[in-house]
Amino acid sequence: FRFKDSLAEELGRADLVISHAGAGSCLEALEKGKPLIVVINEKLMDNHQLELAKQLHRDEHVLCCNCSTLVETLESMDLSTLKPFPPGQPEKFALFLDKVVGFQ
Amino acid sequence: TGGHTTEILRLLSCLSESYSPRHYIFADSDKMSEAKIRSFEQKRAETFSSSQFTLDRIPRSREVRQSWTSSVVTTLYSILYSLPLTYKLKPDLILCNGPGTCVPVCICARLLGLLGIKRTIIVYVESICRVETLSLSGKILYYFSDYFIVQWPDLKQKYPKSVYLGRIV
Repeated sequence: FRFKDSLAEELGRADLVISHAGAGSCLEALEKGKPLIVVINEKLMDNHQLELAKQLHRDEHVLCCNCSTLVETLESMDLSTLKPFPPGQPEKFALFLDKVVGFQ
Repeated sequence: TGGHTTEILRLLSCLSESYSPRHYIFADSDKMSEAKIRSFEQKRAETFSSSQFTLDRIPRSREVRQSWTSSVVTTLYSILYSLPLTYKLKPDLILCNGPGTCVPVCICARLLGLLGIKRTIIVYVESICRVETLSLSGKILYYFSDYFIVQWPDLKQKYPKSVYLGRIV
């Protein structure tokens, strides 16, 4: 298929996700606990998209490669090196905001 | 727009019902946010029956990669357009997270503050995608907001007046 409103179903069933470096795609896969390989296309991307992919790679949550090294990555990958991605904590934001506006 | 809406709804998910009524403002060209917001509010109404919210659209201040000169014009237009809306709503708190759409509204709120009409608290949360650099909206609102929240430690170092709470979406 070309476009779908949501990939949640497919993500749920996947054993491995290979994605471009879009933040939404990466985070969605990581939050479902799926091993993720991020394919970076420097020509297409604007710099800021790269920031999150680089950070996720530094934190060992994802494997990175580019289009030409994808096959090699798939052949030699060790997914056990990937660290789980802890969820964000909006409760911390709520606590902070309550203090700011004076709801304690 | 898209990712921003998803992020802001996650931020709202843990807020108490004291944060009511909620007024959502988004770009007229945005096709998907309305559905996401309605779905969020619908779920919320299941727990908090007195939930109130409104939706308003304003012209988008700037398209991605729009030229500088035309951006100034479209942003000024958005500011003028947003002024009556901001005046009508007179928000106690503005929560925004990065689309260009939020800048005119915040500027209007500051104007109303300067004129002694309404003092609004502006809280800006930079997107989780921003690890090392701020978005353009972020660079502007770093100076206009009361609280500027970043989600990665690098940004906290670069922008010392910001607040770092870790990842919150």
